[in-house]
Amino acid sequence: MRPMTLLRLALAGTRTDAARVLLTGLSAGLATLGILAALTVAAIPTVADGGNNVSPQYRNALLAEAGLRPGVVFALVLLTVPVLALAGQCARLGAPARDRRLSSIRLAGATPGQTVAIAATETGVASLLGTLAGLGIYLGGRELLHRPGADGRLPLPTDVLPPWWALAAVCVGIPLLSALVAAVMLRRVVVTPLGVVRRVRTKRPKPWPGALIIVGLGTTALIVPLQRGFGSLPSEAFLLLVLFALLAATAGTVLGTGWISYRVGRLLHRFARRPAALIAARRLMADPWNGSRTLAALLGCLVLAGGAAVIRASFAADFALGNEVSRRYAAAQGVDYFPSDHSFYFQSLDLVNLAIMVGLLIATGGLVVALTEAVVSRRRAYAALVATGVGRGTLARAVLWQSMAPAALGVLLALAVGTGLAYGLFGTAVTAYDFSVCPAGDCEQPRIVRNVPFPLVDLALFGVGGLAALLAAVGVGLLFLRASTALEELRV
Amino acid sequence: MSTPYVLMGLLAGGPKHGYDLKRAHDARLPRAKPLAFGQVYATLGRLARDGLVTPAGQDQDAGPERTSYTLTDTGHAALTTWLATVEPPLPHLTSVLLAKVVVALLVTDISQARGYLVAQRAAHTTRLRELTALKTDPDATLSDVIAADYGIAHLDADLRWLQTTLARVADLHKEIAR
Amino acid sequence: MSILHARGVVRAFGHTPALRGVTLAIAEGEIVAVTGPSGCGKSTLLHCLAGILRPDAGEVIYRDHRIDTLSEGGRSRLRRTEFGVLFQFGQLVSELTAAENVALPLLLAGTGRRAARTAALSWLDRLGVADLADQRPGEMSGGQQQRCALARALVTEPRVLFCDEPTGALDSLTGEQVLSHLVRVARQQGTTVLLATHDARVAGYADREIALRDGQVDPSGFGVEAAIR
Repeated sequence: MRPMTLLRLALAGTRTDAARVLLTGLSAGLATLGILAALTVAAIPTVADGGNNVSPQYRNALLAEAGLRPGVVFALVLLTVPVLALAGQCARLGAPARDRRLSSIRLAGATPGQTVAIAATETGVASLLGTLAGLGIYLGGRELLHRPGADGRLPLPTDVLPPWWALAAVCVGIPLLSALVAAVMLRRVVVTPLGVVRRVRTKRPKPWPGALIIVGLGTTALIVPLQRGFGSLPSEAFLLLVLFALLAATAGTVLGTGWISYRVGRLLHRFARRPAALIAARRLMADPWNGSRTLAALLGCLVLAGGAAVIRASFAADFALGNEVSRRYAAAQGVDYFPSDHSFYFQSLDLVNLAIMVGLLIATGGLVVALTEAVVSRRRAYAALVATGVGRGTLARAVLWQSMAPAALGVLLALAVGTGLAYGLFGTAVTAYDFSVCPAGDCEQPRIVRNVPFPLVDLALFGVGGLAALLAAVGVGLLFLRASTALEELRV
Repeated sequence: MSTPYVLMGLLAGGPKHGYDLKRAHDARLPRAKPLAFGQVYATLGRLARDGLVTPAGQDQDAGPERTSYTLTDTGHAALTTWLATVEPPLPHLTSVLLAKVVVALLVTDISQARGYLVAQRAAHTTRLRELTALKTDPDATLSDVIAADYGIAHLDADLRWLQTTLARVADLHKEIAR
Repeated sequence: MSILHARGVVRAFGHTPALRGVTLAIAEGEIVAVTGPSGCGKSTLLHCLAGILRPDAGEVIYRDHRIDTLSEGGRSRLRRTEFGVLFQFGQLVSELTAAENVALPLLLAGTGRRAARTAALSWLDRLGVADLADQRPGEMSGGQQQRCALARALVTEPRVLFCDEPTGALDSLTGEQVLSHLVRVARQQGTTVLLATHDARVAGYADREIALRDGQVDPSGFGVEAAIR
């Protein structure tokens, strides 16, 4: 097969295929931007200024202070995770039709390898274009946003460029990686010349993902004692442990949603009396992993959100306690009390929240794609049901039940896991020594312990926000229900 | 019998003598039994007697084979009536094939039935293949194809009926055995 | 000398047996009808012989080579070079034009686009649908689609053509046109044809008939044994 033939076959498709290619390109572009931003921050040269490593050309402390930059890089890389999840959802868009096309091509004599090559080329070319567009936006943005303020300092690191080999690696790596992922995803379906056989996981989900959550929570709980035991852990080991705990707990949450879906399906099946809930129950039991797949990005974001809420509460408690001790000290010494300024930390935490919001938004985009696809790909079955007299309202309620019932529990679990992780790491209480008691330090100072208040409001906001995002996505999906259940759909 | 009407139909196009009529008949109905001269003249004689056709002139050396005939108005009317009359669709369900299959399946012994049914089906399919070959011959005329189609459709109907009958009887055996 | 040979071919789908030991030999250049009622295993037999399905047991031999033991890719290449397939419907890629569809097997084998298109156009012309070259399957009638599919099956000049109810979705006159094209070209090229059908009129185009019943070759042709038992 010549390259031109490969390209022609890869790009033959309908409007749905075009939408998939476009969205694949878009997510590749977003991922490129995220990774390039991370690389840029990582490339900021450090100027040793006395004891502090600073890069004084930046206005924002997050960029200027070398100690904070790894966190920024980490956050930027984390932001690419929902983008990748979005890419995964988009890859499923119109995939059944694509697989049928590949099956026809196999009937014409294509080998299995050739069909994989065709699918991988489609994704690879789309991501290459997206990556190049992302690179273009990045390079253009550097010029446009290079606005030194009156003090000559920069708002963004527009004065550094990652090394050329890193840029090249991104431009080659992202398309190659997505082509590879497309090839691997095709392993889930067997494209034969006679049609497409989907390898469905029919095994009932087991609650073992719970073990992953426990491992994650256990790891964070161990970090603090370990640090105490070793004096201090090297920062790489600390970061690795945190990352491991985060990944394990998030994976456990996402996979556990499969089990939750199945259980919810069984419960609904036992107690539901209305057709909508019964349809939803059967669907949940038939494909419990569907929830895991569609909700993965949302749940991942909510784990982080839960953690962020606790960290904010913990910081706030710590600062409040610090201020209280200072006030007592000032009162004892009879000097004026000036509360210290902690706005930098809260601004940084605001940035974290912003990142989580962006992540939630991208995840919602992925949900819209997934739920719309779920409705559209079942249109024949839906149209047949409508033709036999099932009301569209019943179908809509079934879709709603099916999406919301496991999601509500999944959202709760994700927030709980996130809070658990953060409590494990930061503890449920903050302590300080009351140095107002004996300022000279010649006697024992009493230890004040304050509980970190449970950040109920923040968590509730995130939970409601997550469910609202899901509800909005279901709503968009349902908009397609009417068009998809037009009885003409039975004819195609 | 339809022969008188076929001849009248052929005469509807203009006067013809007996020899022309025979040739035209064989060309239009190529796969039918060829018409004998004697039958043509006998039929024409009967039609003339009934006033449906009339002699329209003779060539010099008079003789029956040189007399050309033309259709009378009565003849026209009779032909129109014939064409307008619907043929009763299969009024009587009798045929030698039907009788033989019934006897073979229900009356005779097993080996005889087997022999007859297999041979009959082979004969049908062979004839069907012959007619298909005739039809796909590049030199086949439209009349050939129409006639072959008629035969193929009937053979196919016979074969399908045979097949269905066997399946029914087999089901019956299964039910009795149960 | 037989070109295609099956010995004791068995194939089941799940617990449902489709073929229970089929043995047959097809001579080169023969047109053979595989007949039988629906569900008798016609399609499965054709798929096994064409290397689309792998039999559970038994052997399929094409020109002295076992093809049932070939890899998926090997069988795909064999189908591309030696075999052609024509199904009831749905074998054309709906996103490609007629000419691209016909050229597809050549393109997959590495032929250049220009040469493949030339070959495709000449076959479309031979089958009387040259004017449809740049239309998509959705814009054609069923008969036109089948002629394009036949052109695609023949473009590689296969030695064996497998046809599974090729006229099943067509009215009888359109089906007849497709069949007479098929038989004419096969005779000209000396192509061996296997024609699965439940229709005696379609089987009438073949030189001989292999009847299947319940996944086995039925020598009587139509289930006499069951009826007179």
